Amino acid sequence: MKNLLTSIRRTPYQSLAVFSSLFLTLFLSLLLIFCLNFLYGLLGYVESRPQVTIYFQNEASEASIYKIKTELEKSGKVESVKYMSKNDAYSLYKQLNKDNPLLLEMVTPDVLPASLEIFAKKPTYLPEIANYLNTVPNKDEVNFQKNVVNKLLSLTSIVRTMSLAFFIFLMATTIIILMTITHFKVALKKDELSLLRLMGASVGYVRKPFMDEALFLGFVSSTVVYSLFAGILFFLYPSLQGYLSGVPSLFVEFGSYQLTVWPLSFMYAGGLYLVLTAFGMGIAALATHFATDKYLAIQRS
Amino acid sequence: MIQFESVTKSYPLGVAALDNVSFSIERNEFTFLVGTSGAGKTTILNLILGDLYPNSGTVIVDDIDISSKKCKRIEELRRHIGVVFQDFKILQDKDVFENIALGLYIQDLPLKKIKEQVREVLVLVGLEERGQYFPVQLSAGELQRVAIARALCGDRHIILADEPTGNLDPKTTWDIMKIFKKVESHKTIVIATHNTDIVNSMKKRVLVLKKGKLVKDMQKGGYEL
Repeated sequence: MKNLLTSIRRTPYQSLAVFSSLFLTLFLSLLLIFCLNFLYGLLGYVESRPQVTIYFQNEASEASIYKIKTELEKSGKVESVKYMSKNDAYSLYKQLNKDNPLLLEMVTPDVLPASLEIFAKKPTYLPEIANYLNTVPNKDEVNFQKNVVNKLLSLTSIVRTMSLAFFIFLMATTIIILMTITHFKVALKKDELSLLRLMGASVGYVRKPFMDEALFLGFVSSTVVYSLFAGILFFLYPSLQGYLSGVPSLFVEFGSYQLTVWPLSFMYAGGLYLVLTAFGMGIAALATHFATDKYLAIQRS
Repeated sequence: MIQFESVTKSYPLGVAALDNVSFSIERNEFTFLVGTSGAGKTTILNLILGDLYPNSGTVIVDDIDISSKKCKRIEELRRHIGVVFQDFKILQDKDVFENIALGLYIQDLPLKKIKEQVREVLVLVGLEERGQYFPVQLSAGELQRVAIARALCGDRHIILADEPTGNLDPKTTWDIMKIFKKVESHKTIVIATHNTDIVNSMKKRVLVLKKGKLVKDMQKGGYEL
């Protein structure tokens, strides 16, 4: 640790440049990861809402509605179908407006239509299901969130593609910058390195101080970025809570594992920190490895 | 033991540095390499150190054949070789202690042992009071002593010295040679030099090189060109 701090103190500007590049890259990466996770969580949430709702005219019998429900369930394209009779709808209406007697007086069960709420297995099945429902008799109206889901899907896809491209560019730029800075550092110690090699030092031994410094700066910059980001999030948390008041929770899926993105959990926060730190230390180490490789090979002529 | 068998080495553009050179140096033997500039003295030292590889022939040091460019045991071999460079190669940002201890740090020895060994070798070269000095505070003779101390420190039983007294006055030159004499009983020492007085006075083995050829190999010899 003493040697590490001495090395940083002896080349303060190079160390600051490494820290700054890592800081910028890690901050933008964390922002991208966070936004993508949120978008995926939001997409998952929208997909979990009733995606197609058909309202029936008063003439529609309960038996005919159940027949449609059975047919939908047999199609293999729906996750579940929920029947809401006129009475169920009225009960729900009463519950939602229990504090407003005027509204309750004006409405009777006859006014409210019976309906089916359909959850599709995949968003791509939605148009097909909606087309079928448009053909059933005594249909009053068919609502489905095609546009919302499609827009969210395309937005997520665009953000993911752009993020990936931006992320690759950011990473490549950072590695090049770090390599160049490390080259300077290596060049400053060229005599010492060549002497050490002549004295029998292994590549690992000679590379170690550079690698230690890179890992240290990677760790420090990712920790600083994370702390700053956490501070900003803490500051914005009340606004986010207000904005997402109707959303109980958001998840992202990693294989069979579901991670809660909202409300913010310790698991998610810890995971983000680990990923960020590993990423910061990883790119710093990779750049240092490339930068030192050229100088450390035994060049026998 | 150091063994050269029919070693030929030429540099790019066809400059022949060594031409079919064969000799062997026994363990704990003291040998001078003499010859005019460009005769091949430094090339021999670099071949022993594994910094160069021969175009043809065999170089064996400590039973390790380092003739091949792809030899994997160069690092291991170098940990047993101490080198005294003509330009000292003392690191300016490290003090005397740190410069000498470089080779011991490589061997990953405990700090206590490193301190003991450096102290011993500082006494040997007469710099026991200079451990905390930085190179800029030392004279040329003292710097050369530091270089020798670094070469002697640790388990380095082959000492290669390239013109170790090249830039020193006669008194300092003899002081330096006295250090080599102190350790000659348990080190294999190979010194490339132009210094006639030293070679003639010390009566050690002398290998005379001329235009890359080994022209004479004398036990207890003198300086000849």
